Amino acid sequence: MKSFVPVALVIVALAVLPLFVQSNVVLNFLVVTLMLALAGQGWNILGGYGGQYSFGHAIFFGTGAYVTAILQVKYGVNAWLAFGCGMVAGAVVGTVVGWLAFRAGLRGSYFALVTLAFAEVLRIVASVAPITGAGVGTLVNLDMRFSAMQFQSRAVFYWLILSLVAAALIITWLIERSRFGAWLIAVRENEDAARALGVNALTVKLGAMVISGVVTAAAGCFYVQYFLFVDSHIAYGTWISVEALLTPIIGGAGTIFGPLVGALVVRALGEGALLITGHAPGLDLVVFGMVLIAVVWFSPSGIIGLRKTLLGKFRRPAAEVRRG
Amino acid sequence: MSDTFSLSRRRFIASTALGAAAAATGTIAMPAVLRAQGAPIKIGVLQPVTGPLSYSGTQGQLGAMLAIEEINAAGGIKSLGGAKFDAVVGDAQSTPAGGTAEVEKMNAAGVSCIVGGYASGICLATTQAAARYDLPYVVDVGVADNIVTRGLKNTFRFGPGFGVIANAALENLVTINNNAGKPAKTVMIVHEDSLFGAGLAKLLNEKLPTQGFQVLETISHPTPTRDFNTIVLKIKAQNPDLVIPANYYNEYVLLARTMQQQQVKPKGIYSVLGGAASSYKFVKEFPEAAKGIMDCNHWFNPLSDKAQALKKTVEAKGQFFTYEVYLNYACIGLVADALERAGSADRAKVTEALASSTWANHIMPYGPTKFVNGQNEGAAPCNTQVQGNDIKVILPAKFADAKPMFPVT
Repeated sequence: MKSFVPVALVIVALAVLPLFVQSNVVLNFLVVTLMLALAGQGWNILGGYGGQYSFGHAIFFGTGAYVTAILQVKYGVNAWLAFGCGMVAGAVVGTVVGWLAFRAGLRGSYFALVTLAFAEVLRIVASVAPITGAGVGTLVNLDMRFSAMQFQSRAVFYWLILSLVAAALIITWLIERSRFGAWLIAVRENEDAARALGVNALTVKLGAMVISGVVTAAAGCFYVQYFLFVDSHIAYGTWISVEALLTPIIGGAGTIFGPLVGALVVRALGEGALLITGHAPGLDLVVFGMVLIAVVWFSPSGIIGLRKTLLGKFRRPAAEVRRG
Repeated sequence: MSDTFSLSRRRFIASTALGAAAAATGTIAMPAVLRAQGAPIKIGVLQPVTGPLSYSGTQGQLGAMLAIEEINAAGGIKSLGGAKFDAVVGDAQSTPAGGTAEVEKMNAAGVSCIVGGYASGICLATTQAAARYDLPYVVDVGVADNIVTRGLKNTFRFGPGFGVIANAALENLVTINNNAGKPAKTVMIVHEDSLFGAGLAKLLNEKLPTQGFQVLETISHPTPTRDFNTIVLKIKAQNPDLVIPANYYNEYVLLARTMQQQQVKPKGIYSVLGGAASSYKFVKEFPEAAKGIMDCNHWFNPLSDKAQALKKTVEAKGQFFTYEVYLNYACIGLVADALERAGSADRAKVTEALASSTWANHIMPYGPTKFVNGQNEGAAPCNTQVQGNDIKVILPAKFADAKPMFPVT
């Protein structure tokens, strides 16, 4: 995407939304959706643009969440500072895991498995380590002040997460336009060929891992500020690894708006299915799953790619006629 | 007759005028007037009915709905003109985020109170989400002590917390052993490795030696664990008088069954919040493995006719009478009592009535309720033992329907 206009338009449109929507139910829905979109955007930079499919993005989300919570609760650090430290911790974890995995030359499913393993190891460590509160988890005290980064109004939380999503969108847009982005896509398409052309694949992948780590860690930091509680299953559980990869894949991996669209569709489907099925436990998940299968079936390149898929379907017969 | 008529007419005119005024002032004023005429009181029933905690959540929902049906059938809340409960059911999807989203919906739906949450993690998130709206919240199970130590004015827990349960378990173990002439001197602890098991093991390792017990070995295992053969072989080699397991349902069942298979028969198996030891399901499916096991856990008052009647109702539905059922049933009763005394469905008044609650007509062995910082001070666990394919209460003596059988072998 060359022009910045669509990115700016989407950010502005989302920013003015709370002026028209007062319902806290809707705002809460949007806040959680944007949080998942942010986690997904992190995955998208590494997986969508870099082709490095991680199954364990919980390592970033969880580290961001725990660092934010522990610094506030155990060391009395200001919430805003703790939030920043959480994001830096995401970068550190990204560097360590990325260096270990990429130096060892792990690609494809091996890289996916090693990230999954890291997430599991961290989950087990967090479930027993005293500093994380072990099985009981860490609880951030309710303190609705700006300095504690807690707000009475859901709208303020919305704008906070939106500003993070906006930053992630701009970063992605910049990557797409930059030389680094071109290298990243080259590595995704054919790493050996890219290397032959002089691209330092290790540095490029490591760079993507660090940016990805910071973005997804920001989602984890936000989770703590919003829900004020984190334990090992929330932080490093498979749920967030799945959400982080599901949203860009559904929306369109390797596109700027993929994770945002994916998160909106996935969450809206979930809520819609809940409305249709009423109170029958689990039926909403069945409906949700069926619709999801249909989406992936008809548009394997994500919702953003749906236009191309549909155009392709309509054009193909004509092309075949011409060939015949 | 004419007096009655004129009074009725006046009342009619007055109520119509009030109604019109209420309608004119907006929708917020309307429910208050309608409630005065016995309009339904919305109550949130929040349980994790999908996800990993779905069994417990479904059981909890069953208990709450049974209580609501019963209260409605008995004429609703008398002080509110026989107002009936209108349950707003929510699914926390076994996550704090899912629970919070449901609290938002329940608040928007205008509930007067929320009951449930089940898991500590969910309760911590949902209670503070409800606190934003000064919405009273009664925690059904969540045993983490910090649920009620955060100073949230809207949060009440009817049942006991972890600290109370762990201390009672220790005291009762000493009592049982002393009364039997101190047959148990050596102990082995088998625990799962999260804070529930690990925390308990730490506490037991500190306190048991001071009570004359020798802890031979403490073995931890992750959840899930699907093979207990090695652990049971270790137990067999050490041959302790007492085995203390602290783990969840599946692991508990597997440990007990493996001990039975390898014919490891200590003088007693004593658990705290034992995943399976106070479960009718376990007793029914594996009666031999369950025989004689003792547990310190949530339990209903077996001497209460109401509790026994509820047990029959639940069993008639083909369900097991688990602690989720009767704790939620009791929590709804607590809210009904508060509403009755408050004479209003207003959230602030319900919170006030809950805080000053002295409710005694319930099915739990707690005595009259007394809330201090949201925790019911009378709440305590019971010691149970599997005797004759049934689960009996052996302590506290006031609620016991059987004597402890110890040592078992």
